[in-house]
Amino acid sequence: MRIQVSRTGGFAGIARRGEVDTAGRPDAAEWETLAEAALASGRDGPTAGVPDGFRYRITVGDRAVDCADPRLTEAQRTLISRVLKEGA
Amino acid sequence: MQPRPNNGLRPVFCTIVPPHVLDKLSQADDPLLADPARRTLEADAARRHHRRVTALAWTPQAARTSAAVPSKPHRTLYDCRHGTDLPGHRVRDEGDEPTRDASVNRAYAGLGATFDLLLTEYGRSSIDGKGLPLIGSVHYDERYNNAFFDGEQMVFGDGDGEIFLDFTLAIDVIAHELAHGLTQYTANLAYEGQSGALNESVSDVFGSLVKQYSLGQSADQGDWLIGEGLLAPRVSGVALRSMKAPGTAYDDDVLGKDPQPASMDDYVETEDDNGGVHINSGIPNRAFHLLATALGGNAWERAGRIWFDVLTGGELAQDASFTDFAKLTVAAARHRFGEGDEAEAVLKAWSEVGVPTR
Repeated sequence: MRIQVSRTGGFAGIARRGEVDTAGRPDAAEWETLAEAALASGRDGPTAGVPDGFRYRITVGDRAVDCADPRLTEAQRTLISRVLKEGA
Repeated sequence: MQPRPNNGLRPVFCTIVPPHVLDKLSQADDPLLADPARRTLEADAARRHHRRVTALAWTPQAARTSAAVPSKPHRTLYDCRHGTDLPGHRVRDEGDEPTRDASVNRAYAGLGATFDLLLTEYGRSSIDGKGLPLIGSVHYDERYNNAFFDGEQMVFGDGDGEIFLDFTLAIDVIAHELAHGLTQYTANLAYEGQSGALNESVSDVFGSLVKQYSLGQSADQGDWLIGEGLLAPRVSGVALRSMKAPGTAYDDDVLGKDPQPASMDDYVETEDDNGGVHINSGIPNRAFHLLATALGGNAWERAGRIWFDVLTGGELAQDASFTDFAKLTVAAARHRFGEGDEAEAVLKAWSEVGVPTR
């Protein structure tokens, strides 16, 4: 399962991208559960967001959801910070 | 002082006007009369005098209205303690002594400086004009490389120390966030495309004005940089954005290169960042810098006043384009200052960045 996170916006407007391929990973199941949970609460299309807030697109396989700070679900926040290796 | 055509649009003040006349005028209802008088008095006297004048000016209004408009800020600072619940734990109220947390104290000071500029120079009490309490939270999340305004309050991260430092370190960042609130309560520019880039630019403009105001800098003394002091030592750059030279603030192997355009020739069409609101803001940013430095003196007095008039004048549409905004700045300059240096400099500034004004 390929998990991609892209982040745009933010005060500095700097885009960041990260990707994880769970194939062959010992913690694959954990990643996949987290990814499903992150997708479950999101929706396609642009989200409201807040001025200078980060905006994220989480892509899992061929499904994607958009979400934005500060209204992330716990699953989204955890997944994003793990994939980007940065606070979300 | 140069003689001006007397269309009744701008009263002429010579230095021979005695203080007691200026005092009376500074209490007038009409800001066109009161503002210049108040500024003249301030320029002559000490801070103590300014407080007396402000108090006198506000007293008649307080007596007339049942709910007096506050002339002091009401700030509350919170500590998120590296979590993401907002607002977090309350740590400093208005009037409280500084705490041991420098982030809290910097945010408190920055909010106060923004309130001061808005009230003293533009007669506006807080972001809604009615003394709206100012709320800020620091230490949001862990190693969080950002600050934002969530519609009700400001939120500041600590940075990760590798790319960014604590976001409260830069007073212009604090004022930038608060200015999003000002925009929300006035023109409410939609945060996407050109109106979003204008929204961003207005915040950078007020960020710079508050910084220069707090440092007592005139337009030619200001650095016109946004987020100077925020970049971690290893980052190759001077700031996050440059209003005087968009596109030159940083060039780093991790951060990339500052993507801002300096004119419409290089306008960036993108889906990212709500249509590049933090990118294309470089164009109106540069226009403001050109205007402020062409006019000279303090940037908040004429250039800032024109921008403020447009933002709060009621004619700026939520989905305004750069051209819509530019046209209004020309009209505002003429309305506020007549047909002279100011309007001419406004036209020239927009022309240089390639935004049409007709």
